[in-house]
Order: sequence, then C-alpha cells, then structure tokens
Amino acid sequence: MSGLCAALAAVAIGLPASGFADDLPAMDHDQPVLCVRDTQGLIWRIQCNARAKTCLFAANDELDSTGERVKPLERARTCELDAPFDRHDLEANGFKFVPARVDVPWGWMRDERERVFQVSFDLKRRMYFGAAYTPVKVIDNPLASKRTSIDFGLLVLEHLTKGKTPTRHRIRMIEGQVHLQPFSAELVVAHYDVSRRFFDPLLRFTTFVGPPSRHDLYLNLGLWSEAGGLELHKTELGNTQLWRHATAQATLDLWQSANLDSFLRARAGMGFEGQHDEVNGYRSALTATWALDLDMVLDRDGFHNLRFEIDHEVPRYFVPVGIQSQWSQRMRAHVQYEAIVLAINDQPLSLKIAAGGEKRDDLPGVPDQWAFVIDAGLRFSLWAPPRPRS
Amino acid sequence: MGTAAPALVASALVVLAATAGPARAENRCTGVTADGGRFATCFDVGNRLSLTAGTDGFGGGIALRHLIRFDDDPDLSWKMEHALIDATHAGFADRFTAVLYRGRYVRHARDGHLVLPLFGNARKVFLPFDIGALVDVAAVRWQPDQAATIGVIKTAALIDLARSRDFRYLLAVGPVARWDVSLARHPIAVAEHAVAPFTAGLFAWRLESASGLTWAELRVEAGAAWHSRDGWRPDASAEATIERIVLAINDRPISLVTGARYDSLTGESVARIGVRIAIIQHRDQRVTLTALGH
Repeated sequence: MSGLCAALAAVAIGLPASGFADDLPAMDHDQPVLCVRDTQGLIWRIQCNARAKTCLFAANDELDSTGERVKPLERARTCELDAPFDRHDLEANGFKFVPARVDVPWGWMRDERERVFQVSFDLKRRMYFGAAYTPVKVIDNPLASKRTSIDFGLLVLEHLTKGKTPTRHRIRMIEGQVHLQPFSAELVVAHYDVSRRFFDPLLRFTTFVGPPSRHDLYLNLGLWSEAGGLELHKTELGNTQLWRHATAQATLDLWQSANLDSFLRARAGMGFEGQHDEVNGYRSALTATWALDLDMVLDRDGFHNLRFEIDHEVPRYFVPVGIQSQWSQRMRAHVQYEAIVLAINDQPLSLKIAAGGEKRDDLPGVPDQWAFVIDAGLRFSLWAPPRPRS
Repeated sequence: MGTAAPALVASALVVLAATAGPARAENRCTGVTADGGRFATCFDVGNRLSLTAGTDGFGGGIALRHLIRFDDDPDLSWKMEHALIDATHAGFADRFTAVLYRGRYVRHARDGHLVLPLFGNARKVFLPFDIGALVDVAAVRWQPDQAATIGVIKTAALIDLARSRDFRYLLAVGPVARWDVSLARHPIAVAEHAVAPFTAGLFAWRLESASGLTWAELRVEAGAAWHSRDGWRPDASAEATIERIVLAINDRPISLVTGARYDSLTGESVARIGVRIAIIQHRDQRVTLTALGH
C-alpha cells in the first residue's frame, strides 16, 4: 500500500514511482529543503544536489501502515514552502528524482513511515536508576551467598567548553548503590571534576639523531572533588558508617579523546573523613588517596561504555584505635561495561556488567583480604540526549 | 489547630459574602467587579510557597512545576514537578515529617514508542503511554515513641497512561526502588535498613480542575522490601489528598486540604484536615489583572 501511495503521489507530481524500501537515501538535515505542492495539494519535501544531479523527494508527513499521510513530521528541518520549482527544467538539466527518507537531526533516524526515533545516546547526561543481581565472593564460595542491588544517579551532567583549551566539566549529584544480604550502601551527594587539554605543551623535546624532530609533552592537569560521601556496612560486629566529608585531588590525564569524554587519568589528593562503628566508636582521619581511572565511550553513538577504576586510600586517624595503629588501608578495583539494549520513548534501557575487588582493614568484622564481586543488571536512563556530533 | 482551621475559613467566607459585589467574567480566568476591579479565578497550584495548618501539625513547602519544550519537536515535552523542603511538625504530638526534595518527571510525546536498536535495523514499536520517573530524596519521619525513619532515596519508573499535555491528569504505574534507614532515638543509632530493589509497585493518580481550584491525588505503594533485621517483609503505604481553594486574599489563595495516609510499617492510619495559605504563588498565565491599554 505504501508503494501504491508513492506511485500515485509520484504520478500526481510527475516524479518517478518507487516503492518505500528500507535502504532509501536520507536527506541532509544541514541542507535546504523545498516544500512543493502537487496537483492534489499534497506537500512534498524535495532536496536537490547540484553536484550529484539528483533531487531527493519524500512526503511531508508521517504515514500510517497503509501509506496514508496521517501526522505532521517530527524533527524535520523547516522547509521553504511554495518556492519556485520547475521539475521539467531540472530534468532537462540532467537531474534525477529519487525517493528518500525525510531529513533528521544528528542522532535520530526514521523508519519506513517517516516516524522519528533516537539512535544515539549520551549516557554522560542523564538521570538513571537500575537493579542488579550480585553474587558475592564468587572466588571464596560460589554458592555461599547471593544478593541484589540497586543503583541510582539523580543527575549526571557533563559539559564541554570548546576553544583553545577545551575543558570538560563533570557533575554528579546523589549517585550511589545499595546492596542487600548482607547490607551495604554507598552514596555521594556531590561530585565535580574537570579535565582540560592545554594548548601549549609543558615541555618540547627536539631530537637530533637523524633528521631533527620535535616531540611535545603535554601536562593535562585537572581537578577531582567529592563532598558528602557516605558508606554503610553491616557486619557481624554491627553497623559501620564512613562519612567522606570532602575529598580533593589533582588529576593528570594520560590520554584524552578529542572531545574529552573518554580518558585515562591518574589522580591523587587528600580527604577528610569520619568513621563510626560499634567496636571503636567514632574516629576522624585525614586520608591520602590516589587512583587510576579509565572511562571510554567505545562507539560513536554511545551504545557501549567502559569504565575501570583502581584506587588506594590510606586514612590516618587522629588518635590510635584500640591496639591498631593510626593507619588503615583500603584498596579497590572496579570495572564496568554498560551497553544500551533498547529505548522506550527514546529513553535508553542498558545492560550493566561489572566486576570488582576490595581489600581493607578498617571495618571491624571484615577480614583483611581481597573479596571479589560481580554483578549484572539493567539501568533505565532519563534524558540521555544524542551525543554531540564532534 | 484542627478545629481552628474550619472556623477561620468560615469567618473569612462571612466577611467575603458581606463585601462582595456583583461580578462578571473578563475571560475564563479573570473576574471583573462592577466597578472594574479584576481578580483571579484560576490558580497555578504547582508553583507556590505555602504554609499549612491542620490536624497533623503546622508546615509548609515549596512547589515548582514547569514544562520543557523543544523547538524542533513541538510534540515532545517534559513535565517537571518539584517539591522542596515539604515539612510538617506537630509539636504537641512529637511528630515530624519532611521531604527535602521530591520530583516527578514525565516525558510526554505524541507517539510513545519502543526502539530495539541492537537487533539488526532499528525497529520502532508503538506504545500507548508516556514514561517518566519519580524521586524522593531525604524523607524524614519522626513519630512519638518510635524509631525515626529516613527515606534516603526512593525512585520509580513511571508509565503514564493518561498522556496529558499538561499537569492536570496523571494515571501512572511503575516499579519502585527505595532505601530507608530506621534510627533508634535514645541514643541515636542505626537500627535497621530497608531496601526494596524494584520489588514494590506504585500507582499514582492525579486530577486537577481546569481552573486549579480543586485537585486530588492518590498514591499507593505495595510490595516487598528487605529489612536488615528480619529479611523480606511485605510493605504497603497509601496517601490521598484533596485540596479546594475557597478564598483568595489579594489573589493569594487559601484552601481547605484534607487527606488520609496509611503505612503498614508503623501500622498507622492518619486522617487530616487543614488550611493552606499560599504566601507566594506564581500567577496563572491565563489571568489578566490589567485591562488592555492600561
């Protein structure tokens, strides 16, 4: 029926008849489009390319399953209505008329009925929440325990300012996760970090072995900070609360993608924290921290995302705790892969697979040995607009 | 306070009846008195700073709501509703409830759809609903002779079957995830954690009159939550609210509020009635208080 519609319309406007196939070319959203009325009063979108000597044409409406025009188009560029258009003159000059898809903005596409939908997602601008299944300590005893978890991020926002020294600001608000059986929770109220790519190199080396050549060394420094962190654990010896009041670190980007949304980064700094447990009571500490982060968007449209983080924290308590020293150690490694599997009303649902290990000696009732966790789950994201084009 | 509120409203109505003159309507939302004075007859109840006095105590809150629209897609909008520092304190009963932030975001689209991008060519399947989310952050409930409860976070995915273009209708269901912490009060210490990892369901209904004079809302949650002391338990809660604006002073509305709340965790069923005064309220855009040419 859609083919018939196209044929009828083409006869009416005098264009070549062709069925609606899935491999139709698409109009360019950045190029002007004419809207031309046919003899029946129906409006067609036409985009001509003088170099290729082709004119793409499509109905100026969404179609129903039978090919009838039913709705105005969404996200199509404004067209020039009733502009001068002479098909015979164009054909005499060698132009060929080809059925096509209506133009769409970057990150969107249309189906055979010209309905628009999003096919690129920026997971670095979103609100999300998800649930995961988490077997715990799979190395110690694969059948010993199992648990479920939820994770959430009320605001994930990144903003790139372009220019001589492109800078990416990253903001996270109220992001965390909660595990049950046994219970543990992590929450960060506010996170901000910034990456820059400096215009001038810090050092430039010139080698004179062979032809002289120059090698630049950039020092892309940045800032990483968090405030209002909370970590809760429930062990055999009671509840433990770790309040990470504030942490600030200097960062060095070892590698950056062109738009800074992917990076490999080393960071180090200090934090101020307080910890309360039912064995030692409350104690405060200054904490030295360093970490290595890898964050990569693996494809152009943001469907595949990889994160890796390894960090080491050394709290120094202001007073000794029991017979322990004033120092503790916390080491953690975590890798996460997230892939979008479908979108509901252009809001992505993604699959998350993660694995991690942790070793620490600051929690009463938790042995000072590596514990490993894997989990897999689903995340639902709101907002997630198309990724920037460049 | 609960008995004082109806008396206050009754007195105000008597005063209003004694001084009111004949009026006509300038438009649907603007009334005009016989001597040309204009007054609002429609109210934007979603944008205001209000105080409430009722049988459950004295409180107040900030409500904001707005639409986000897009130039390149006029049939898509985000309906954003926010409540900030919504608190009620009953000093005589040692009872305090508050929520630091509550948000409800609904993405309204002319055609809902499901896209399957990973399996061959992207496919679009029609869905007859809008989607959205609900978020509660830092909800505190302090009750006499009981542990205090802090709802650290609650979030829900919403499927809105009403698909309204504005804020007047909502008929939504969705799975709920939440994390609550119960605190022992003497001394203050963590007593229990309760986590529902999307194992509860939510039903939300809202109806608001075109004038904004009356609105009603119902929210029901039921399901299972894991408790750190005794494992999985069924939990249910429900809350219903009806508000009717009965009077406006200088176009600032005063309304009667009534409602009921049930929570299986505490076994409490509470009914309430009170008076709400909008201290600051965004004027409904349909109201015209200045005559054309003046």
